[in-house]
Amino acid sequence: MSVAATRLPARILPWWPAILLGAMVLVAIFAPLLAPMDPDRQNLLARLKVPGFESRGATNWLGTDELGRDILSRLIHGARVSISVAVLSVLLSGVVGITVGMLAGYLRGWTETVLMRLVDIFLSIPAILLAIITVAVLGPGFFNVILVLALTRWPRYARVAYGQTLSVARQPFVTLARSMGCSVPRALLRHILPNIIGPILVVATLEFGLMVLFEAGLSFLGLGVQPPTASWGAMLSTGRNYVATAWWIATFPGLALFMLVLSANLIGDRLSDIIGKGR
Amino acid sequence: MSLLEVTDLAVAAGSLQLVDGVTLDVRPGEVVALVGESGSGKSLTALSVIGLLADSLRITRGSIRFDGVPVHGAGGQDMADLRGNGLAMIFQEPVSSLNPLMPIGAQVAESLIVHGRASAADAAQQAVRMLGRVGIPDPERRAHQLPAELSGGMCQRVMIAAALISRPRLLIADEPTTALDVTIQAQILDLIRDLAEEEGTAVLMITHDMGIVAEMADRVCVMYGGRVVEQGDVHDIFRQPRHPYTAMLLRTIPRLDHPPKQELFAIPGNVPSPRNWPQGCRFKTRCDRATAQCDATPALSEGAHRVACFHPLSEGMT
Repeated sequence: MSVAATRLPARILPWWPAILLGAMVLVAIFAPLLAPMDPDRQNLLARLKVPGFESRGATNWLGTDELGRDILSRLIHGARVSISVAVLSVLLSGVVGITVGMLAGYLRGWTETVLMRLVDIFLSIPAILLAIITVAVLGPGFFNVILVLALTRWPRYARVAYGQTLSVARQPFVTLARSMGCSVPRALLRHILPNIIGPILVVATLEFGLMVLFEAGLSFLGLGVQPPTASWGAMLSTGRNYVATAWWIATFPGLALFMLVLSANLIGDRLSDIIGKGR
Repeated sequence: MSLLEVTDLAVAAGSLQLVDGVTLDVRPGEVVALVGESGSGKSLTALSVIGLLADSLRITRGSIRFDGVPVHGAGGQDMADLRGNGLAMIFQEPVSSLNPLMPIGAQVAESLIVHGRASAADAAQQAVRMLGRVGIPDPERRAHQLPAELSGGMCQRVMIAAALISRPRLLIADEPTTALDVTIQAQILDLIRDLAEEEGTAVLMITHDMGIVAEMADRVCVMYGGRVVEQGDVHDIFRQPRHPYTAMLLRTIPRLDHPPKQELFAIPGNVPSPRNWPQGCRFKTRCDRATAQCDATPALSEGAHRVACFHPLSEGMT
């Protein structure tokens, strides 16, 4: 691997957003072990209880929701949905976008025209509108949400990959690689991709935060992951109805979202500073 | 028989003709210098041979044969087989011609791996040996370094190693020493010549430096305005240039016995851009021998010493 990549963690990552993000990822992975209660277990006798309420010999540290479910446990399980949707949609849209952008930037000619005009078209459609329409057609659900997010977000990566490929493909080392017999796919993957991945990583980090918000937005509108699966967006949505009487239902998922997105964005900003300086 | 045979090659960008009828040949094991000013079409000729012209450029006429087999138009697959196998190329700027994020050992091994001629481990070993042969000290350790950790001269050695590891039959060297300082230049040229001699590799050396030509070449091919104007044995060309342009080129070489403070010779005028190449002979606007006859295009004569001029210099005139 490159020098830049091996020195990445020590030099680049601001420590507290990285720790926060890392902790949230760990919580998501080990959710079943960490959650004090079953997130879907209802207890209608303990509806809308304040944080610290005790029922059945256990404490609801962050209170209960309108069906008496433990907010803390739902929050912990909700991290799984938020983070896995964000990671998978970033990966999917990244792979599609980078492929399109690199092909357009390397092959030029009519391929470039067709692909990049397609990118322009996608960028001109309001993302949330496209997402809503697509979910309406495909139906809600975990994988459909990922698909929809990737569908609306790949043009960002295509744009960046295209611009970077345009400049890198003109470098003499690409011609040298080709003169040694490298095929076009090999030249793209082995010689061009490592040289353009930096700025794309910045985009991906910032997109990660955006994907968390998008997923929450779709769930808030009822188009995301379906009940009873816990999702921060859906929790916010129900919490809205009780915000005057039971503030904790909406507050805690809101805080969790805020911290996750903030830490992702801070890491992205720092990455972009470092990569910008490296030029 | 010729290893490389280029006949009447023409390259155009859209309607703009950049190379216009280049004929040259390289025999096995010999060093041919392709000489000319910037914009004379020498690099484009080389890139046409290896099939890596930019997308906006097209070969519009002529043929290129490698080992008797036509390569231009023979289909992309054949060309890709030749590249890094029978045919290799080194470029002008050693530092930017290497992938900045790939260890140099891997870059030297690349052509072996691409053509499946060695396993990864074997290719890596061969690369280290090749790095040693081109004079990289401590090749074992250096193979893991990135180009940024090497000097320009070292990078050029790496590029030469990468080109020669596949034991090509023809090496195209496109101004391999232009970006290097003079002391390194001589080392690199010696290296190319020695290795080519050891392996029996023919070299097509592209340069604008007549000093390099004198030192390296067996034969010379002089280009002007996208055409070959003179071609022949290096001794004949230097002793008795026949094209007025070649003669002037030779007069531009500064000499140690040149009287001090006297102005150096420069060819009058500028190289015309391809947009306004004159009709007929392209050198006539700068030539002191031009007549009305030069409005027609002179053909390259036949024989060992070939010239494309209506009024060539004859013996004893220089």
